[in-house]
Amino acid sequence: MVWHFALFNIIWREIYDNLNSLRFALATLLLLGLMLTNAIVHLREHPERVQNYHNAVVEHHERLKAAADESLYKLAQKGPGYLPKKPSSLRFCAEGGEPYLSERAQGGHHRWGTDTLESFWILAYPSASPNRQNVRPVVSKVDWGFIIGYVLSLVALLFTFDAISGERERGTLRLTLANSIPRHTVLIGKFLGALISISIPFTLSILINLLVISTSSDVHLGAEAWGRLGIIFCIALLYTCLFLALGLLVSARVQRSAVSLVVLLLVWVVFVVFMPSTLASIAGRSTSSGPSLDFSERSEKLHEELSKEYYNNRFKEPADSHKGMQLDSEYVTKDAEQQERLHAERLNQRVEQVNRARTITRISPVTIVQHLLESFAGTGFERHLQFLENVQSYAREYRAFIDDTDRADPDSLNILGVPAGMSQKPVNPESVPKFEDTLNLSKDFNTAATELLLLVLFVMALISGAYLAFVRVEI
Amino acid sequence: MLITLIRRELLNNLMTFRFAAATFIMLLLVVANTFVLINDYESRLVSHNNSVNMHKRQLQETNTYSAGEIRVDRPPNSLSIFNVGYDKQLGNEVRVTHIYVPSLWDAGMHGSSNPFMDMFASMDIIFIFEVILSLLALIFAYDAFAGEYQSGTLRLVLTHPVRRGNILVAKYISAMLCLIVPLSISLLLSLILLTTSTSISLNTDDFLRIGGIIFTSIVYLSVFYLIGLLISAITRRTSTALMLSMFVWGFLVLVYPNMILAVIPQHDAPQERKTSAYDKIEQVWQELDKERKQYLATDDFPGEDWGYELRGWGSRSSNFIMFGNPHTLIYKCRGVMKFTGFGEEDEYKMPHAQKHFRYLGPRIIDTADKTWLVRKPALEDIYIKPANTERIWLKLSPVGLYDAATKTWSGTDVRGVRDFFHAARQYRKRVNDFFLDTDVFGSRQWFSSDKEAADWSDLPHFAYQRVDSNINAMRALPDVCLLLMINVVLFIIIFLIFVKSEV
Repeated sequence: MVWHFALFNIIWREIYDNLNSLRFALATLLLLGLMLTNAIVHLREHPERVQNYHNAVVEHHERLKAAADESLYKLAQKGPGYLPKKPSSLRFCAEGGEPYLSERAQGGHHRWGTDTLESFWILAYPSASPNRQNVRPVVSKVDWGFIIGYVLSLVALLFTFDAISGERERGTLRLTLANSIPRHTVLIGKFLGALISISIPFTLSILINLLVISTSSDVHLGAEAWGRLGIIFCIALLYTCLFLALGLLVSARVQRSAVSLVVLLLVWVVFVVFMPSTLASIAGRSTSSGPSLDFSERSEKLHEELSKEYYNNRFKEPADSHKGMQLDSEYVTKDAEQQERLHAERLNQRVEQVNRARTITRISPVTIVQHLLESFAGTGFERHLQFLENVQSYAREYRAFIDDTDRADPDSLNILGVPAGMSQKPVNPESVPKFEDTLNLSKDFNTAATELLLLVLFVMALISGAYLAFVRVEI
Repeated sequence: MLITLIRRELLNNLMTFRFAAATFIMLLLVVANTFVLINDYESRLVSHNNSVNMHKRQLQETNTYSAGEIRVDRPPNSLSIFNVGYDKQLGNEVRVTHIYVPSLWDAGMHGSSNPFMDMFASMDIIFIFEVILSLLALIFAYDAFAGEYQSGTLRLVLTHPVRRGNILVAKYISAMLCLIVPLSISLLLSLILLTTSTSISLNTDDFLRIGGIIFTSIVYLSVFYLIGLLISAITRRTSTALMLSMFVWGFLVLVYPNMILAVIPQHDAPQERKTSAYDKIEQVWQELDKERKQYLATDDFPGEDWGYELRGWGSRSSNFIMFGNPHTLIYKCRGVMKFTGFGEEDEYKMPHAQKHFRYLGPRIIDTADKTWLVRKPALEDIYIKPANTERIWLKLSPVGLYDAATKTWSGTDVRGVRDFFHAARQYRKRVNDFFLDTDVFGSRQWFSSDKEAADWSDLPHFAYQRVDSNINAMRALPDVCLLLMINVVLFIIIFLIFVKSEV
């Protein structure tokens, strides 16, 4: 019982000390300012994003309807058009490099046409290059990822760097331990005290941030979104624990608090500020997939080869014979297949490179937290991959629909890719599958699990390190 | 006396753990990143050379003048290792043609094989300095006064007949000497790495620019040291001084540069500016089209519009299309013709076609030049001015000033990149003169290669030289001066506080 009492006493004393300190005031101010900025920026930018998405969806539906009213051939030839990515309503939590990820996939871009034939649609992945003509200064966005990853971790270090070394310097630690309080109680007390004192300004600023965001009529946060926010909050606390434990570890090992801070700051700068970008550029460099100039040349060459073969054979057949039409069909579908495969290959290469870089940068805790935040906010690279998967499965569904409808029409010759060879009847626009991008929480959990475990592992290792260091240290 | 003081301070500083740790971390980061950055530069250089060769090859393979695309490439800046700035980000190839005047907004990009990789922030040496130097300066400064107040040594020193000003100067000089050691060692190492790399050749001008960067770095270092001294002199307690210094550092380095642009109102130029400029440009081109149609009507050949009736084996008809992009205010006309030959029945039209294009060529050049007069100020208003306002906001923090100054020294700022497009415009003039002098527009090879292919060998060569280092210095001067001014002001304030304070 005494033991519990002592623990509560220590926690209470720590909180009381912290609440009265300069760092508490400054941290509160900093976090509040940042969170407010974040909310304001989100309110300014989000409605436009949602509007753009809705416009794109409408455009996609209209394109399908226009093509369906004409004929099945048009539908099969023109394709579904641009497929928009649904913006996440939690974008303020993690920007996740979204500006560098395209907001849409392209399904149906006219590549060539002859007197009788038109190119078939293919799925292509346009790249977003937001900075090509941007002469404005480029800065990182103030999202929760930035606030938690950089500012909160720094604040956590500033709260713990003198937790043990400072008391040792003043001699109060000896006094505390003289009262037959076990060392681990002191350590746990200090840890929990610091954690609670940091969570107060952090929770406050988050609440104000969410208050500002949710009072606006433009942004709707559903029940699921609130659940995600709760998880993000827990991750933030876990991440804070990591730096608190690091602070206690160094503080216990080092004799003077000034030295402790220097060590902590240098560790922080190396792991949080420099590690992610340096590692990413090393990982990115190691495999340079061929330049994009190659791509257009390769695409042209493939098409040329196919055309040559086609014209050689086609020449011998009469214009509207069955054999000729089959040649036409083969030409069109094979071309579309080839080109789409080329695009997919390039995409896969790029994704692989990014994945490699992302795996290596996981050594830095800030990257782990940013990845976690991205997966729970439904932004970032993993989410983009999910979107691409959605797009690809939609493309299959769309093609299957075309095949099935064509087969269902008894008058059709079932020759895909030739205007005369396909069903001539208009299609009911309602029955055409429409693309809708979805966010899937269970998938997010799968992608996040490794990172979450890694983070927990880091925290456990540091806490036990701090415990060992403190138990063995001489006062 | 001053020397004794400096020696004492210097010894005090040099023997500390923080000095060793600082030097170690600086060396580690700078050397590791220099390797990465040199590699990155080399791969960009390779891609630049590939692109130059490819453009040359493609031009040689083109048989007619009108279909030839002359492209010039911006080489990567070797000093982008120090501050990458806009060197990797803005377009690095542009087409030089008589139909429009090239600018930054018409540029394309080669060499970035994976646009997704832009997600990862790029790192350069100046960024390391920005973060670490400022941190070090504050760590060295926080206990300079506060520590001596607390331990009482200041009182001891002042019992000797020492002027307070001398103590301040001694502290400043010795700490700066200490701080310059890790800076210079790491810079020297990275310079050695740079000079051993075979792909990077630095000339005298480059060394002058690097000298400017080093000077700016020292001034920046001094600003943060003085900020730390100021905090130390005000707070009088080491723990408070340390805490305050760290928060100030976090705010100036981490928070302010990222937050300020989101907080200030957006300075976009009104949409009307864009539309009115675009309309004006369109009007100029329409006038040309009208003139052209008039010419065709009074021509001695009874056909309507030239080109449409010319059909060669390539069976691609030529037409005079005009199109534009209201976003970047580009407007061009196109008359691409790729014919390998004509049938006998078209032969009699040839002189008329040549006459038409001879008439059209100089007029298109004139019209393009005329539209540039409208487009240039409009682009300035729409893109450059808002960007400059944002840059001024960023410069309210010493970090922003330092970043801007080093960007200008290395020539990777927007102005430095735009110099290339200026050179491209000069080159366009030379190409146009060449076309006019040799009557390329009126030649048969302009549109047809049936008799003779276009000859590109006499085309003037493009060579891009970066501006002199003294122009870089002129451009960097305001920012460096501001940094120096901050130094002086801070020093005076600290002096006043220190002289007036009780010990």
